Amino acid sequence: MNASRNIAEPARAPVGAWAAPARVRLGWLNSSKGLGILLLMPALVLVVLFFLMPVVLTGVFAFTNMSTATGITGGAYQISPGALRVLTDRHGMGDLAERLGQPTYVVDDRGLAALEEMGIDPGIIAGLRRQYSGETYSSRREFERDIRNLPVRPDTRTVKRISEVFSRSLGNARFRSSTALIAAADAIDPDLTEEEKEALTATTYTGWTWTNDNFRRLATSRDTTRVFFNTLFFVAMTLTLFNVGYAMLLAITTHYIPERPAGIFRIIWFLPRISPVVIYVLLWKWLAWDTGFISAVLSNFGVRPRNWMLDTAANAWFFVILINGFVGASMGMVIFASAIKAIPESLFHAASVDGAYRWQQIRHIILPQLKWPILFVTCYQTLSLLTSIDQTLLATDGGPGGATEIWSLWVYHTALNNYAGNLQYGLGAAMALVLVVIGIVLSLIYLRLFNYNALVAKPRIEL
Amino acid sequence: MRILLDKFSKSFGDVRVIEDMTLEIKDGEMLALLGPSGCGKSTTLFAISGIHKVTGGRILFGDRDMTGVPSQERNVGVVFQSYALYPHMTVADNIAFPLRIRKLPEAEVKRQMEEMANLVHIEALLNRRPAELSGGQQQRVALARALVRRPNVLLLDEPLANLDAKLRLEMRSEIRRIQLETGITAILVTHDQVEAMSMCDRIAIMNAGQIIQIATPQEMYRNPRTAFVAGFLGSPPIAFIDAVANNGMLTVEDADIRLPVPPNAETPPDGTPVIVGIRPENLGRDGDAPVRGRVSFVETQGRENLYDLTLANGRVLRSIQRVSDDVSLNDEVEWRVRSDQLFLFSQNGERL
Ligand SMILES: Nc1ncnc2c1ncn2[C@@H]1O[C@H](COP(=O)(O)OP(=O)(O)OP(=O)(O)O)[C@@H](O)[C@H]1O
Ligand SMILES: [Mg+2]
Repeated sequence: MNASRNIAEPARAPVGAWAAPARVRLGWLNSSKGLGILLLMPALVLVVLFFLMPVVLTGVFAFTNMSTATGITGGAYQISPGALRVLTDRHGMGDLAERLGQPTYVVDDRGLAALEEMGIDPGIIAGLRRQYSGETYSSRREFERDIRNLPVRPDTRTVKRISEVFSRSLGNARFRSSTALIAAADAIDPDLTEEEKEALTATTYTGWTWTNDNFRRLATSRDTTRVFFNTLFFVAMTLTLFNVGYAMLLAITTHYIPERPAGIFRIIWFLPRISPVVIYVLLWKWLAWDTGFISAVLSNFGVRPRNWMLDTAANAWFFVILINGFVGASMGMVIFASAIKAIPESLFHAASVDGAYRWQQIRHIILPQLKWPILFVTCYQTLSLLTSIDQTLLATDGGPGGATEIWSLWVYHTALNNYAGNLQYGLGAAMALVLVVIGIVLSLIYLRLFNYNALVAKPRIEL
Repeated sequence: MRILLDKFSKSFGDVRVIEDMTLEIKDGEMLALLGPSGCGKSTTLFAISGIHKVTGGRILFGDRDMTGVPSQERNVGVVFQSYALYPHMTVADNIAFPLRIRKLPEAEVKRQMEEMANLVHIEALLNRRPAELSGGQQQRVALARALVRRPNVLLLDEPLANLDAKLRLEMRSEIRRIQLETGITAILVTHDQVEAMSMCDRIAIMNAGQIIQIATPQEMYRNPRTAFVAGFLGSPPIAFIDAVANNGMLTVEDADIRLPVPPNAETPPDGTPVIVGIRPENLGRDGDAPVRGRVSFVETQGRENLYDLTLANGRVLRSIQRVSDDVSLNDEVEWRVRSDQLFLFSQNGERL
């Protein structure tokens, strides 16, 4: 402040006028609100870029038919056999399709000009212009017969070249814009109705368009039900058996054993969580390969070596749940163990003298007090299992034969990686969107549950 | 039921907390375990309840040796210092817990639970959770839970420590009433001598893992076995001064005080250094041995005044007297000691 005052001294009026707003301008930095926003900025940018944007884009893509075929930029209009089939089947415009698909020859000025360019005998050109100008043929043979009947008769090769030039068939023709397409179609069939024009533009467009089809397909597809139940099975089993069940078992057993071995035990169960996923899953694969550990051991007993992980659907599930479960168990274990530790020791003493043996202590003292942590772990892990993909992708990749295809994997296979090679971005995005919506709904329900719990805990009454 | 600790010892690793302690609690008696913090009171309770295994010795309930019996089968009721109520259960469930664990029929559980709730006056709170109770109410619930199983012995670990002064007074008589009504054998752990004296039939004074003296409160007050016991009982506490035996009298050097040897003690040989204990109520206007000093502190307690009397040699005696206006701070006074009420201790604190 003093510095600016000193500088302002020689030319007080103008600089003073400038200096005052400058202070005001920087003033927001001093308010905690302004500074807070500034400090939050990087985080906000990251959230928008890497969370909000993908979600929004997924929402947008979900309502398109984008795929490898359509590309993600715009497209052209092409009267392909496929497009014509759609025109016939879906719009009932078989006549139009037939007309557009037929080879058509029109003797017009453009063609005549082209012949001159090609250096064809001017006599032939003059004859064509005089006798057939404006004629339309739907058969090449007819047109070529007429050409041969010209006074100056061209040889067979030239006849072919000439007929080619006048070919105005729209089959496989590509147009940049819909106006060009309609103009070309008009040339063949001048009395197209508006409806027909619309259908034609829609069916011949090769780029992506807006559509609800993805959701209709999802709602009706049998795959949806199958993958849905796969996912349900996967989440339910992993959650109850491992993320909660096994975690609880670990937490309780480590509570009752001495501190040091308990600590070592817990660290061991942390290894799957902290080891790199690829290496972790590779170890499992090595265990289950046809030349791996299980096969090697069992071959001593005359069991045929095989890939135990992908052998049958049941085996695949067994491994998928085990692999995911061991990763997820550590979190529940830590949360449950610390919650148990937070129970005052005097409660266990009281329970002992009240006659409760260890199992009854677990049942009546520990478990009821772990209601909250159990709820929390259940909520958190449901959400994370719903979207978990890496372990399953690396282990079975949904196999054998789609037996362990869970929703997230299905999205990945549809949109980003499949054998057919046609990556359906739009459909995949729609699937992902369904998952996002399920996640949000579950989160809201869970938040509701937590809030509810907080509300029912009445404040302590002070004496 | 009679409880007997027979040469019981307990150590945690290398730390020997209790060594060869023998203690008998008579049937239907309420015994106070009184001692400074860390002397092993809770450890003793934990050993009786079976929460800790003892390192040596035996614990008998009646004639039955309970030393190796797990706490679940000892049928003891414990009120913990923190109450240790189950926070997720209602008051009713807390009280009923020991009965449900024993798989009593539900109707019976309910009957006994309500009976016990009536006894401790918490009928109206049965549907609340511990967090919704005041300290005194929690204390009653803990008591009801400890009593509902009709235990062999009731163990109370500083049950009043967390209560405010008024409630503490109330619960003191309440616990005693319930103990007398149920006729249960009880051990009360405390380091509050007033609590011990007002609530219990007998007091066991502990120090450093040893029982120093067991006696009725009266007896212990009148006839402390050591200076430690004398110093522990009484509020305001007893004052000690060093003296030397001289011709059948006790002289305090540099203070010009000569006290006769009290009738309860043998006259020590001349020149023996001794410790004289003088309770505040035995120093005042009437008595037989004069003591001069300066009033260095006056505290009014309503009915009575509490004075500190600083002797010529700097030692301080305490006196408690009826309120009067004729003594004020820094006055030089000559008061008297009732020499027949003095206690004489040897240099290491043993009573002479
Ligand atoms: N688990 C333990 N491990 C090691 N030492 C212990 C353990 N429990 C108690 N002690 C020691 O045993 C001694 C007696 O402890 P105890 O709890 O019986 O004291 P207390 O008389 O109940 O004291 P307070 O009045 O403070 O409750 C203390 O010195 C304490 O440090
Ligand atoms: Mg204690």
